Amino acid sequence: MAKEKKRAINRLQSIYPLRALVDERYKRSSEAMKAGKPTAWSMVNWWLPEAILNVMGVETMYPENYGPVCAATGAAESYLNRSDSEGFPTHMCGYARNTLGYSARMMEDLKGEIPPEAPMGGMPRPALLLSSGIMCDARYKWFQALGRYMDAPVWVLELPHPGVEEEAMDGVHEDNINFMVEGLREFVAFLERLVGKKMDWDRLYEAQRDIEEICRVWHETNELRKARPCPMHSRDFWTGMTGGLFPSGNLKELLELYRKTYDEVKYRVDNKVSAIVEEKYRIVFSELPPWHSLGFFDKLAERGWNFVMESWNYHPPIPLDMSGIGDPLERIARFTYQWYAARHPRALQEREYWGFAYGYLDYAKEYKCDGAFLHTLLTCRTASSHLNYLQDMLIRRLKVPSLVVDGDIVDLRLFDPEDVLNKSEAFEETMEHYREERKKEGFDW
Amino acid sequence: MGQETSGLARAKEIYQDRGARARELKAEGKQIMGYICLYPPTEMMTALDLVPYRIYGDMREPITKADTVFLIVTCAFIRSYLDLALKGKYDFLDGLVGAHVCDCGEKASHVWRNHIEPPYYHFIDVPHTVHEAAQRFFKGKLKYFKTTLESFAGKELSAEKLKEAIESHNQQRALVRELHDLRKPDPPLISGTETLRVIKALTSVPVEEGNELLREVITEVKERKNGPQKKSARLLVWGSVIDDTALIDMIEDAGANVVMDDTCVGTRAYWEDVKLTDDPLDGLTYHYLVDIKCPRTFREAVYGETKKDHMADLESRFSYLRDYARGWSANGVILQVIKYCDTHGYEVPGLKDYFDSLGLPNTYLEHDYTEGALAPLRTRVQAFLEVIG
Ligand code: SF4
Ligand code: SF4
Repeated sequence: MAKEKKRAINRLQSIYPLRALVDERYKRSSEAMKAGKPTAWSMVNWWLPEAILNVMGVETMYPENYGPVCAATGAAESYLNRSDSEGFPTHMCGYARNTLGYSARMMEDLKGEIPPEAPMGGMPRPALLLSSGIMCDARYKWFQALGRYMDAPVWVLELPHPGVEEEAMDGVHEDNINFMVEGLREFVAFLERLVGKKMDWDRLYEAQRDIEEICRVWHETNELRKARPCPMHSRDFWTGMTGGLFPSGNLKELLELYRKTYDEVKYRVDNKVSAIVEEKYRIVFSELPPWHSLGFFDKLAERGWNFVMESWNYHPPIPLDMSGIGDPLERIARFTYQWYAARHPRALQEREYWGFAYGYLDYAKEYKCDGAFLHTLLTCRTASSHLNYLQDMLIRRLKVPSLVVDGDIVDLRLFDPEDVLNKSEAFEETMEHYREERKKEGFDW
Repeated sequence: MGQETSGLARAKEIYQDRGARARELKAEGKQIMGYICLYPPTEMMTALDLVPYRIYGDMREPITKADTVFLIVTCAFIRSYLDLALKGKYDFLDGLVGAHVCDCGEKASHVWRNHIEPPYYHFIDVPHTVHEAAQRFFKGKLKYFKTTLESFAGKELSAEKLKEAIESHNQQRALVRELHDLRKPDPPLISGTETLRVIKALTSVPVEEGNELLREVITEVKERKNGPQKKSARLLVWGSVIDDTALIDMIEDAGANVVMDDTCVGTRAYWEDVKLTDDPLDGLTYHYLVDIKCPRTFREAVYGETKKDHMADLESRFSYLRDYARGWSANGVILQVIKYCDTHGYEVPGLKDYFDSLGLPNTYLEHDYTEGALAPLRTRVQAFLEVIG
């Protein structure tokens, strides 16, 4: 107990049961799949399919999440090598190569049996490959390439990619929603054919409402982090994000746990409890963390670095009023689209035209950040291509400096905690300098 | 750059300094509209008297400025054109039409918008799928593009004008196909390098000027006696954008004739005509979304199929490449991908399966869009040519 108290990051107690529930879900669905329940491998699809799959009784695995598991346990190396020997270029997404190698091993060497060395019980062969047209190209090309090993059909869920200015044109928003609704309607019809079962629309409506509520509570929780000192560290966000990003199983149970987290964070705000021992620097983090070196953040916490916000793309949508919308598919479409485009009007006002990068500017301002920690993921271009731009935008507009650090999603050696810690020390002076600069320019932090 | 030269010499001249021709046109009062990749419909620009001007990189120029705004581990073709733009080498453009071609292509469009602030800018969202809802959606996007383009040009884009422009561009497509037919004989009448120069020139000048150039080239090539030599290897080249002759030169120099291609500064934009539909936007929608076969678009044998058969899938996606190989008597295939080009990279093993099933020898080359990177590939190409025999 005494040892716990000394930890530099004051972790939320309510976040552990949330994580435990997600892990237990994973085990349960993996068993259900092995027992023959219809299974989908899905890309991260930002709530487009979750309620639908849930109600149709399709269990889901996320190869994009299985990648870090394989990387952390060392299994990835052989899968990556296998992908290379199958002829897939080595410069592509590490998670994709991991899955391609895994699939070659499972389907070609083991006739569909899960490889015995696969961590966490492996991923059973799917009946459906649910890919995604959202942002990165790997998200549909990778699943298409899996056709080499599997006879499972590939379905692409599309999300429009409006430019910041174009989104403001009359009619564009609604056109985009309509396209998504049409796509979802066709997806449901396809799924009905695939699993031989009809959609229960009332249940779908309810499941979607639950997901919206889970996300709303999670959003409100993160809003509370604007407080000084910030009551919740990014580590708690990362521990808790999976449940909200991939809501599955008993949604009401999940919602209860998110509510508990909200209450705990709210209590901390009311009582000025900080997420770290002494908050000196408030940091916004971009992209996925080095999963294998999370202890590194404790070292920074000892130096007073509080990670108060992180990548907008793993956060739920900013809540929107959907009262009166009875069609669950329309709700799903509006909800996901909101996640993608909600900040565009503000970006337009500020004459920033790269929507993906803009979210961080908002965060740096709203959460009054002293610095940005930008973690480059070398083989994930979607998560990295904006980082230099972001660095430039933050300093130009807000006088917030960035520390850019190399890393990767599967090649764990690229992230060197010792080296980064040294750089961080030097970066503190930079943050102090820009704190003065901001004062001179009339910023309020 | 006067207009004294003609045919292949003129194509070479434009190829070598395409900006010079654009500046001349600008001095004549034309407005030059930049666009990225193949997806912004050039017909709409032509119909409004704007000169469509495709954006390319320059693999001979070191990237120095773009790295401050775009991460180094992205397609170097994109970084290169951003670099040129940041260095002011595209300062004659009156606007830019960006598009969601691939993820990095989209992002680079936004960076261009932010950093270059062109007088006109429009971003076209392009769906990844081709089913009817996606076509309706894309048509909607073309309508929005039309609105902003009209207001920039200060005039209305009438259906008649658009149809006329489609006809001119279709004429260009037919002429390009005719040009490619000249690669069928053995030896081909025109080399891969020369063909690339011509196509790149076409994407730098007004459509009618391009058509005139094509007619001259076709006549000249048919008549000349000093065309390419007969070589035992006749290659089909597939892959990411090739906007510089260095790669094709290297392959032809190593002892092959490049007789056909499936790249976007080659056949890709020209193989099908735009259908002349009552509403011309319907024809354009279908052409740009469905006809153009770039791996950035997801296709499957049967929409919504609940079972997948790998070979049937490959056949439905790649049979046009078999037709190219047969029609142009190719006896080998080079698959080339610019490092970090995901859309093309994922296709490689499937394409190899497909060409293997046809008994066509094939090899994969990867490069980082620099001239220097091509030298080590030469040995690989030579080894491959030995396999072909
Ligand atoms: S490149 Fe990045 S976003 Fe795309 S599939 Fe890979 S990990 Fe996911
Ligand atoms: S070469 Fe590939 S990554 Fe580069 S612009 Fe073309 S499709 Fe995009």
